[in-house]
Amino acid sequence: MEALGYKEDGATGAAAAHNTLQLIAFSIGEQTYGVEITTVREIRAWNGATPLPNTREFVRGVINLRGTIVPIFDLRARFGEGPTSPTKNHVVVVMSVGDKWVGILVDAVSDILTVSKDDIHNVPEGNSGDTELLNGIVTHDSRMVGLIDLHAVVSGAKLDS
Amino acid sequence: MRVLTVDDSRTILAMLHHTLSNAGFEVLQAEDGQQGLDVLKKESVDIVITDINMPVMDGIEFIKNVRASGQHQSLPILILTTETSQDKRDQGRAAGGTGWIVKPFDPEKLISVIHKVVH
Amino acid sequence: MSDLDDFKATYFDECSELLTELEEQFAAIEAGDRSSDRLNAVFRAIHSIKGGGGAFGFSALVAFAHAYETLLDHVRDGRIELSDVVATLCIRANDIVADFVAAARDGAALDADYGADEKAQFDALTRGEQAAVGEDEPMEEFDIDFVPVMVDLEQADEPDDFAAPPLAVDDGHWEIRFTPHGELYARANDPLLLLRELAELGEISVKAVLGHIPPLADFEPFGVYCSWEITLVAPEISEADIAEVFEFVEGNCDLSIVQLGALAEPRAASAAIAEAEEVEPEDEVPVLSFAELAETLQPTPPKAAPVAPAAPASLGASDTDDGENDRRSGPDDRRNGVQSIRVDLDKVDRVVNMVGELVITQSMLTQQMDETLRARYQELVRGLEVLAQTTRGLQDSVMAIRAQPVKSVFSRMPRLMRELSLKTGKKIRLETVGENTEIDKTIIEQLSDPLTHMIRNSADHGIEMPEIRQAAGKPETGTIRLSAEQAGGNILIIVEDDGAGINRERVLEVARDRLVVAPEQTLTDEQIDQLIFAPGFSTADTVSDISGRGVGMDVVLSNIKKIGGSVHVKSWPGRGTRMTLRLPLTLAVLDVMLVKVAASPYVIPLSSIVETIQCARASFSRMPTGGQVLQVRGEYVQVVDLAQRFEMTSDTNPDSRFVVLCEAEGGVKVALVVDDIIGQQQVVIKSLEENFQSIEGIAGGTILGDGNVALIVDVQGLKSSVTHQNAA
Repeated sequence: MEALGYKEDGATGAAAAHNTLQLIAFSIGEQTYGVEITTVREIRAWNGATPLPNTREFVRGVINLRGTIVPIFDLRARFGEGPTSPTKNHVVVVMSVGDKWVGILVDAVSDILTVSKDDIHNVPEGNSGDTELLNGIVTHDSRMVGLIDLHAVVSGAKLDS
Repeated sequence: MRVLTVDDSRTILAMLHHTLSNAGFEVLQAEDGQQGLDVLKKESVDIVITDINMPVMDGIEFIKNVRASGQHQSLPILILTTETSQDKRDQGRAAGGTGWIVKPFDPEKLISVIHKVVH
Repeated sequence: MSDLDDFKATYFDECSELLTELEEQFAAIEAGDRSSDRLNAVFRAIHSIKGGGGAFGFSALVAFAHAYETLLDHVRDGRIELSDVVATLCIRANDIVADFVAAARDGAALDADYGADEKAQFDALTRGEQAAVGEDEPMEEFDIDFVPVMVDLEQADEPDDFAAPPLAVDDGHWEIRFTPHGELYARANDPLLLLRELAELGEISVKAVLGHIPPLADFEPFGVYCSWEITLVAPEISEADIAEVFEFVEGNCDLSIVQLGALAEPRAASAAIAEAEEVEPEDEVPVLSFAELAETLQPTPPKAAPVAPAAPASLGASDTDDGENDRRSGPDDRRNGVQSIRVDLDKVDRVVNMVGELVITQSMLTQQMDETLRARYQELVRGLEVLAQTTRGLQDSVMAIRAQPVKSVFSRMPRLMRELSLKTGKKIRLETVGENTEIDKTIIEQLSDPLTHMIRNSADHGIEMPEIRQAAGKPETGTIRLSAEQAGGNILIIVEDDGAGINRERVLEVARDRLVVAPEQTLTDEQIDQLIFAPGFSTADTVSDISGRGVGMDVVLSNIKKIGGSVHVKSWPGRGTRMTLRLPLTLAVLDVMLVKVAASPYVIPLSSIVETIQCARASFSRMPTGGQVLQVRGEYVQVVDLAQRFEMTSDTNPDSRFVVLCEAEGGVKVALVVDDIIGQQQVVIKSLEENFQSIEGIAGGTILGDGNVALIVDVQGLKSSVTHQNAA
């Protein structure tokens, strides 16, 4: 798969009025998740990673992204569903979190969604894991899309923390 | 040609550095009079540009010390001053200052003032 | 434009520091400390904010700061008492200054009358005081820089003068008499430069008046014997232009400027900057060239030196030929000036990075050459060798561009030292050695904080109070020695003091309290010393505001590790402590051995490798706790199986694995077991922290020729974490 460059000033970006949100949707198994499109820097096919010692299971390792070292997080493992066994068809979504770039290993990228901010629901209280890792939930084509809280996903990566 | 700039304001030091190095000077920096003296003990410079209001050792004391050191009688020292009210400037000259530059300075004026006092 | 933006950024950074400082000063003032040091610091802070603001044309900020500064100046002088009311006003003023700064930074607009009330109060206070004292101080310092010209009243009475155009006189001929006083030389003013500047105004001819020069025997070295008569032909200049040439020597010379009318009628408009004193006319003095003129200023008598043939008449003309150039940079500057250009650091970094990649590509190509290829393509082999050489050269040259003397950091330390002496009441002398040692610019930038911390630590915990030192038979004044030297591929920066040394009992006690060390564990003195770098470690009995805030030397260690260096401490009880920073010469490129741990590539810095041994030929022994030691040349060395340590599974036959014997800081050895040794190469160090975080046992990453990431083994970190592991 060829890496897709994302252009912020593209036509899709212009369509984003202030009350709507554009998401890149991707799937882990049957479930769909999304991140705001403006945080996505690049989408590339899985091509292996160098494992990092002394890190939690969901840190897949690091890759070389044009000369800088970028960590890859296995989103499935982060959700506690065990490590992904990645193939060439798996996808890494590279995005910026604060001033850092990180990659997220997902099964596939499915769509670009435009949702209204008013349609974002709070994550139901109950499972702390869900409230911790998701910012909210939207419905698109009667599918539930979980909005990933990237800061939460990449935190707690070290073994001792 | 080497210039020692002495000022406790990093902004002024940076602007002096920029202007002077663009004009081909080698620029040394000190943040107060004492540091300035320390630099002069080890380095030889062609001209000194110093602020008056500084912590630790102010510009007036600095100039007096430089002149008293015996080695720097003919070292031109320009006083950097915002006070156009003359008294600081006069104190600076009485201490042995060669001339003065009024802040905010414009780059061309700065260079031309320097050429007024060094070969 | 971007330069200006940079300066602005510096300015706003500085402002926020100054505003913080203001807060601190006023906290002390409110607590009752009204010493002149405080007031001076406050004055200077506002003064600096105003000064920088003026440079960028933040006029509202400048106007307010100016009024505030004037008040502070009066308070500082004691002309206004710093009553509680005034102090409260000042604190409000600080907030307003902060708002003005923020508005200037964000390009926001404040109300036109923002701060006007306070400003009016300042003015009322300063005016009231002035009325009382009856002093008339000009309120506005930010006027145009002008030179006051005294007008001779006698001349002014003559109506002709009013009729004459005040500024420009056609074909103006001027006669200038200039007699320097001794002070003029004492302030490093130079008549030659003044004459040179005059020559830029028009055509000049200069007569040196040498009649007062005594015989050589009576010559005083600092005596002033020479004066000058200058004729200047300069259309379209005013007296003020001439006076400006002499502005720096005002009062240090006798000067008369007389305009000779076009009809040779001496219509003198005398701008007596100082008391004009008639110079006795000298008849027999020839007009001198500048070369000759220079000779008259030399200590040697003029005739003793060979002088270029005089060309009196052409003096003015020849000088105006390149007058324009002279104004900017004299010919001397062009000859002697350091030839340099300023280059954006980003551009240099790009080159450094590309050279780094080139080095890797080159080593990758070299690795591809197997014996068959070598035998078949000898030209290619030779080409690769030349490429390797050139690449090395290129790399060295590029690194040299980034190298800077450590002086820039060292020079900040004397000031710190003075502050520390004051705060601690200890007598401390700072010695610096090797300031010209050069090191990569980025490393230098990262060095300031750790060094500051280390010196603070030495001043705070190392050097004893004068009485204690005396009692111990040491000189009252302690010495902290800061030195830099190059040692092979490293730079060593050493902070050494002749203080009490590390109190090992106390350190161990604290370390046990904080569970850094297990109760039953015994440590060597050397290991105890290193504990001061353990996180959160602080042993000062009283927490001082200097170095004992809990964040301690562990910050030094992590900062130094970040730039690929290491720290080692050695202490002699009662005699002192030495802390050694070992830093790479350059950040970018590292000679390494590429190894395999399980299936992953790792690199080990060559500089820490002592030797490699095949496991089959190494003699291991098992320790009671289950750990292994390696016996090598009569020494027992701790063994770290990297696969195990990094929690990976090695399926290599144990006997075909390798031991890489490494030496960490302080000569402590550690034996790393790896699965395979692939070879030596150069790598460019990449940060893991840029996008992730630091990982224990890993010093960073690098990108191999095949594009994969390899991790750099942190030998020092592994060694110390081994100590920790055993302790836990």
